[in-house]
Order: sequence, then structure tokens, then C-alpha cells
Amino acid sequence: MTTDTIKHKAYLFDATRCIDCRACMVACSVENNIPMDKTRIWVAGIGVKGEYPNLERATMVAHCMHCEHPDCMSACPVGAYSKAADGPVSYNADVCIGCRYCMNACAFGVPHFDYDKGLVDGAFIDKCTMCPQRIYNGQEPACVATCPTDALEYGEREELLKKAHERIAAHTDRYIDHVYGEFEKGGTSYLILSHVPFKELGLPEMTEQPINETTETIMEGTIPFAVGWAAVLTAVAGVSRVINKKKETATAKKEAAPHTEAKQ
Amino acid sequence: MKLNLQLDEKLRRFPIPITPAMWVMIAFIVAGVISALVRFAFGIGAISDLSYAYPWGFWISFDLYCGVALGAGAFTIVAAVEIFDLKEFRPLVRPSVLTGFLGYVMVVIALLVDLGQPLRIWHMMVYQNHTSILFEVGICVMLYTTVLAIEFSPVILEGLKQNKIAHTIHKYSFPFVILGVVLSTLHQSSLGSMLIIEPYKLHPLWWTPILPVLFFVSAINVGLGMIIVESTLSANAFGQGLETHLLKKLALVDVFVLLTYLVIRFTQLALAGHLHLLFTSGSMSLLFWSEILVGSIIPIALFSQEKIRENPKTLFIGAIFVVGGLMFGRFNVSWLAITHSDPLTYVPSFMSNVDYFPTLPEVAVSFGIVAAGVLAFNLAAKYLPLFEHSEHA
Ligand code: SF4
Ligand code: SF4
Repeated sequence: MTTDTIKHKAYLFDATRCIDCRACMVACSVENNIPMDKTRIWVAGIGVKGEYPNLERATMVAHCMHCEHPDCMSACPVGAYSKAADGPVSYNADVCIGCRYCMNACAFGVPHFDYDKGLVDGAFIDKCTMCPQRIYNGQEPACVATCPTDALEYGEREELLKKAHERIAAHTDRYIDHVYGEFEKGGTSYLILSHVPFKELGLPEMTEQPINETTETIMEGTIPFAVGWAAVLTAVAGVSRVINKKKETATAKKEAAPHTEAKQ
Repeated sequence: MKLNLQLDEKLRRFPIPITPAMWVMIAFIVAGVISALVRFAFGIGAISDLSYAYPWGFWISFDLYCGVALGAGAFTIVAAVEIFDLKEFRPLVRPSVLTGFLGYVMVVIALLVDLGQPLRIWHMMVYQNHTSILFEVGICVMLYTTVLAIEFSPVILEGLKQNKIAHTIHKYSFPFVILGVVLSTLHQSSLGSMLIIEPYKLHPLWWTPILPVLFFVSAINVGLGMIIVESTLSANAFGQGLETHLLKKLALVDVFVLLTYLVIRFTQLALAGHLHLLFTSGSMSLLFWSEILVGSIIPIALFSQEKIRENPKTLFIGAIFVVGGLMFGRFNVSWLAITHSDPLTYVPSFMSNVDYFPTLPEVAVSFGIVAAGVLAFNLAAKYLPLFEHSEHA
């Protein structure tokens, strides 16, 4: 699937606009009833860099990228994740077995787990939902609605991409000429503009190939492989027996010493 | 097939003896059970160092990755005897199948501690996600444990003097043999496929789309090594005659398996254009070369010498290198070579700790499970006709 066929909602985050106020974190936690010691958004300043007067600072706001090819969804053994046609990747706690494979699979380290919950409370995964309770009622997600500098925006992915490229073109001195998430591993629904290398924001460099393509190809081949392999093994077993029978009769005829196996 | 008819005599002579070694085992088990209880009451974080950045740690590396690989002795020897019809190896089948079965039960118990929702383990069977490699591994491990139980059941039935039923099961066991080997092939290799979804976390010296092939070949390698180790240990412990004439053949086969492994591994690195990483990745290069040296080069050097294969002691040492080297390799690929970005910029990490090192209770859980397994094997060896007398010419 090419990325131009992606027609649904997305976020745009502009790292040059973010002032590290963390209002989005608070808004998200209030909107979604997140306990004080947990969060679905991570706001991480990478500090001040450079020599005076050429100082530079940047902040990354990270939450689920709502990938076009979600690895969490592909990896979960019980199918606890699903991707809606209009964007959100959501998680279903009712089927989750707590294996934490999704946390390994997600290249952005988004899903997180209740390490502090025992059997009685039940330990689950949590992650950003794209606020379905708001977006399906004509509102923006809570983080976007709160952001005082419009560092976070929400809208149709295509329009946001256009906007992002226009912004880069208008300020070539300010931005790195790349919209992170446009093509990364097949595209994400969280697009990022930055003035510092994306690596410094904690975003891995990626190819356009979806990560889960390889594993899903392997899974598709599993049943045919198993059937073929079973047939091969049965055939080998049959042939080995016939050969050994022949050898045994031969040795019995010759009345030689106990035979030695040379068969592979 | 002759039965070990000394059962009743033995029962009378040893009414569950508790040796000092057993006390140590029991101590390990108690420590493990206490740790597990704390974990079930207060959560995984209460006893482990696992975090958002390292969701999988010692339990997955040791219990799942090493445990399943070390259980490969069972399918290797079953395939040799039942599929390649190498009858002479039959005396090794029963002990290997039992070790395999106990090994898999141990894996499952460890996973029940590691899972966030252990009571939902059956969800894997109901809510199947057919794109998930972990789903395949889970189903294969469950089915294969059942197959091993079926393959081993004649021994228990013979122990209970139900020879007729035992014989019937044995007679119709061929489909289970095929099923067992197929399931083993699938999940041994899929443990490798499971890591393919982490191309940006696993170091390129380890990450490759052919991880499943490497995992399968190295599973056969360690299967052979484990048979040598187990046979030597149980010969010492239970006064069984050591079948060195059989084991030395396995060691020779292992040389070829190991060479195949090395060829695949280095060809892959060359084709991927990663050869320069062999010397330029700092500690990762060091890990890689240690793994290759201990797990492949030393065993090849040892096992390719007739002198060493003939001597039970040196044969055993070689097999220890095979097993140790493989465990080292599995730890690398499932833990040590999984790197996260620099702690300062790895964004979600400021909520948690990015370095991971297993805590004592974590290790205690794993060791407790191993101790229970060893104890179970001991009891089985005492009371069941585990060691057939080799009378097959
Ligand atoms: S960012 Fe991670 S959790 Fe979110 S959809 Fe992508 S893979 Fe899943
Ligand atoms: S932890 Fe839950 S949601 Fe994540 S992969 Fe496992 S079962 Fe699926």
C-alpha cells in the first residue's frame, strides 16, 4: 500500500513550536482518567544545546503514532489491537494476556504496562486512543485542543501533510526538509516537523517498508510449510525403513557381524 | 523391548531419600515460590527490573529462549530414531523425551509468572491472531508439550504395569512422531522469527529475516549437545552404562551442523553488507565473537578430533561448550543485543529505567523452576522404566 492512499485523520506535531509546557499531558490525563503516576503522553525536552548566542532547544511530544501498519496489532497473539478505517489504533483490555510482545514490537516504545498491578487488580497495557469519545463527536483530541501554541494540530492527513510541506518551504532555514511519519514504515498518523535531527527527538531512522511485512509473510507460509514438511518427513521415514529392511536381509544372508548404520 | 522390572525392589529400597543436594533444590524451589507469590500479589514490578523500555528480560531469555532450545534434544533424537530409522539410538529416546517434556512444562510455568494475565493463557486458543508469530509459538508449545506427554505416556503406563495400553499407544504413535517434529521445527524457528519485528532494536549483527533458519539449525546443534550432557549426567547419577559409542556419533554429526550454522550466519552477514560491523561495533562485536567462539569454534575444534569423541570426559566438556555457547547466543539475541536509543533521548524512558539487569527474585523464580524440574527427573528416573536396556543390534 502506498502512502498516498491513506485518507484519514492524523496529528501534526511541530517541534519548533512546542514550549515544553506539558498542558497536553495534563489534558490527556484529565480527559482519559489516567492515574497521577501514569501517562499516555511523554513530553521530553532534550535540553539546551550550542554556544551562546546560538542556543537551540527542542522538545518531543510522544504518544502513539497510530501507524498505517501497526506492529503492535500485527504482533499481539490474541488480536487485542485494531485499526479503525479513520485512523485510530485501539487496544482492547478484555482479551489482552499481558505478554508485552506489543511493547517489543512497537518501534516507538508506545504501549506501556501496569508493572505495579498484581493478579487481583489485573495488569494491562495502556496507550493513546486518539480520543474516540471526542473525535467522533466533532471535537479534536484533548491534547490538540489544549495546546496553546498550536504545536499539535489535528485534521485530515493529506491536508496536514500539505500544510507541513508548505511550512517547510516557507521557512527553509528553520526546518529540516522532512516530515517524519509521511513514509516511515509505510506511514504514520502522527506527523512530525523538527529543526533538530529526528534522531535527537528519539525517533529511529526507518525505511519505507512496513516492519510487519516480513513476519506476516512468514505467518502466511506457516501452514503450507508444515504440511509439506510433514509429507517430507513421512516419506523419509518410509524410505529409511525400506533401505534398512533391505540391509538387514542382506546382512542376515551374509551372516555378518551386527550391521552399522551409515544412512543419513 | 525389555522392561525394567526392578521397579518394586527400588520402591522398597528408597522411600523418597532426601540427600543434601535435594535440600539445595528444595531451598531453590521455596525461594522461587515466594518470589512468584510476591509477584502475583503486587505485580511484576515488585520483584523484577522490567520496564517500559525492557518489557522482556531474564524470564524470556532464560526460561523461554534457552528453555525451549535445550528441550530440542527430544525431537532431535526422536527424528533420528523414528524418521531416519537409526534404531541403535533408541536407548536415548526415553530420557530425552522426559527431559524435553519436563523442560516444556518448566517453560510454561515460567511464562505463567511472566504473563500479566496468567489466568487468560487460554485466550491464545480462542482469540487467535494469525499474523502474530507469538501466537504460533504459543500454540506450538502447547501442542508439542501434549505430544511429548503422549510420547512419554507408555513409560508411565509401564511403570504402572499397564503394559497392554502402553503397547497400544506405542503402536499408533507414528503420527505423533511426525506431528512432534513438525511442531518442533515450527516453534524452534519461530522463536527467531519473533525478533524480526524488532529491526530497529536488535543489533544488525543479529537481526536478519533468516533468523528462523539460524534458530532451527542451532536447535538441532544444542539438541545433540543436550543428549550428550543428559546421558553423561544420568549415567553418573543413576549408575547407567554410558553409551559413548552412540554419543560420539552424535558429536560428529554436530560438527557438520555447526559448520552449516557458521556458513549460513557469515554468508548472511556478507550478503547484507554487515561484515564491517564484525569489528566496528564495540561491545556488540565482542559479544558476537564470544558467542561464535564458545558456541561454534571451540565445539567444532573439540568434536572434530576422534580422540576427544572417544573419551567420555572430553566428549562431555565439548557438549558443555555447545550448550553454554548456545545459551549465550540466545541471551545475546533476546536481550543483550537489543539496544535502545541513548537514555537521554529515548523518549519514553524517562518514565522508567533504560538499563535492565535481572533482580535476585527474578533469577530465583527461574532457578526454582529448574530445581523443580531436576527433582522431578530424579523421581522419574527412580520409579519409572526410563532406561531401556539397549539390546537392539
Ligand atoms: S506507534 Fe506503536 S503502539 Fe502506536 S500504532 Fe504504531 S506500533 Fe502500535
Ligand atoms: S500485552 Fe496484551 S495487547 Fe500486548 S501483545 Fe500481549 S496480549 Fe496483546
